[in-house]
Amino acid sequence: MHRLLEFIKRIYVVLLFLLLEGIAIWQYATSTPYTEAKILSRTTAMGGYFSTKITNIDHFFSLSGENNMLTRRIAELEQTLEREREMLADYSEDAWKRKMHSNNEEDLHYIYYPARVASMTISRLRNYIILDKGERDGIKKNMGVITPDKNLVGYIISVSDRYSVAMPVINTEFTMGGCLSMTNYTCSLRWNGNSPSHVDVIDISTYSQPEEGMAIEAWSERLPKGVVVGHIDKCELNAAKTAYSARLRLAVDMSALDNVLIVENTHYGEIEKLMDDIEKSENTKQ
Amino acid sequence: MIKHIPHIILAMVLMLVQVFLLDNIDLGSSISIWIRPMIFPIIVLLLPTEWNSIWVLITTYIIALLLDLMLGGSGLYVVTLLPLAIFRPALIYMTTNRSVDSSDQSQLLARIPLPQLMFYVALSLLLYHSLFFIMETLSWAYFFRTVATILLSTISSLIISWPIVRIFTSKLIF
Repeated sequence: MHRLLEFIKRIYVVLLFLLLEGIAIWQYATSTPYTEAKILSRTTAMGGYFSTKITNIDHFFSLSGENNMLTRRIAELEQTLEREREMLADYSEDAWKRKMHSNNEEDLHYIYYPARVASMTISRLRNYIILDKGERDGIKKNMGVITPDKNLVGYIISVSDRYSVAMPVINTEFTMGGCLSMTNYTCSLRWNGNSPSHVDVIDISTYSQPEEGMAIEAWSERLPKGVVVGHIDKCELNAAKTAYSARLRLAVDMSALDNVLIVENTHYGEIEKLMDDIEKSENTKQ
Repeated sequence: MIKHIPHIILAMVLMLVQVFLLDNIDLGSSISIWIRPMIFPIIVLLLPTEWNSIWVLITTYIIALLLDLMLGGSGLYVVTLLPLAIFRPALIYMTTNRSVDSSDQSQLLARIPLPQLMFYVALSLLLYHSLFFIMETLSWAYFFRTVATILLSTISSLIISWPIVRIFTSKLIF
């Protein structure tokens, strides 16, 4: 309070000047219709300009909250969409009725969890992403990680109570299958450790005739269909002319990653158990 | 109070000259739109430099208010004359390189060389006339005509007011 009074004491002449000038301008502005129209139109335009600027600044600071809200909304909508897809795919009347009246998430094939990137690396050979959701939020190992616009980020490899660690595409140990968009021609993805915006695609069938700009989607039991990995930058036939290999421009900008969706395939445990059983039976045969 | 009598007389004379003479001289409509001399800003320019800025501001406000009443300015004279009072220390510093805040302020205007004094008066009159004509027209439609009016009116005001400034700042009066 003392400092405020000191400050006012220092600038009271300027304050008085502004007050007297303001009164005089108002008096002059309202003296004739001409000055009223001219001055009021200018002050309205100026007021509008500053009001827009203030609104823009306000909007900028609310963007983070809006992003979180939108990510949550996308997760809900993806879940609803998944439910609709499954209902359409399943024609039996009983299954239809069961799903129509069910709110049980276990009935869904894929469940979406919104999350944010807590920290990440992109300059190493083995990069990792730490996400702000963990076991208590329902996150488990081997869940997929995608962006809200359905681009591949990676998958969960480790979970603690509050956090989880995802292995992104740009990790030399990352392994995942891919397929050419709108076809069933599969391929394999791998990162050579060079550019954080490009990955290599190998073993693309010679029948598929890949072209520059074509999208490659993830082909994995961890993720639903339609998750885009990236677009082909250039492709060439290998030396043995048995398959194509391509350089893929990633759809996601790893350096600007913030809001993500963690995807759970509710059937993943079942698939994993089946694969384990097959491996065990093969081992016993040997 | 007695030592301020010259300033009071100057203010009264200049205001009366402005109201009854300069604003009523018929130079013909073709000249009147280009040349409109205003010498009353001299009152503010010649106020004692040792005065506290609040007193300069209040005195200027009273003078401007009287002019508004006598000339029907509806606030225009207050709007244009107050900035001259607030920027006066800066104008003095810019043109004479002397600060009104320094310890020896008395009769500062009487002690500065003539070219610097003329520069100070000319620049202040230019500032005042610019503010006045811009506020009066409130439009950029006749930009070049406004600029010409500002320049011609400033020159004519300077020619009329310079002898007054010289007489007033001479050491005989102070």
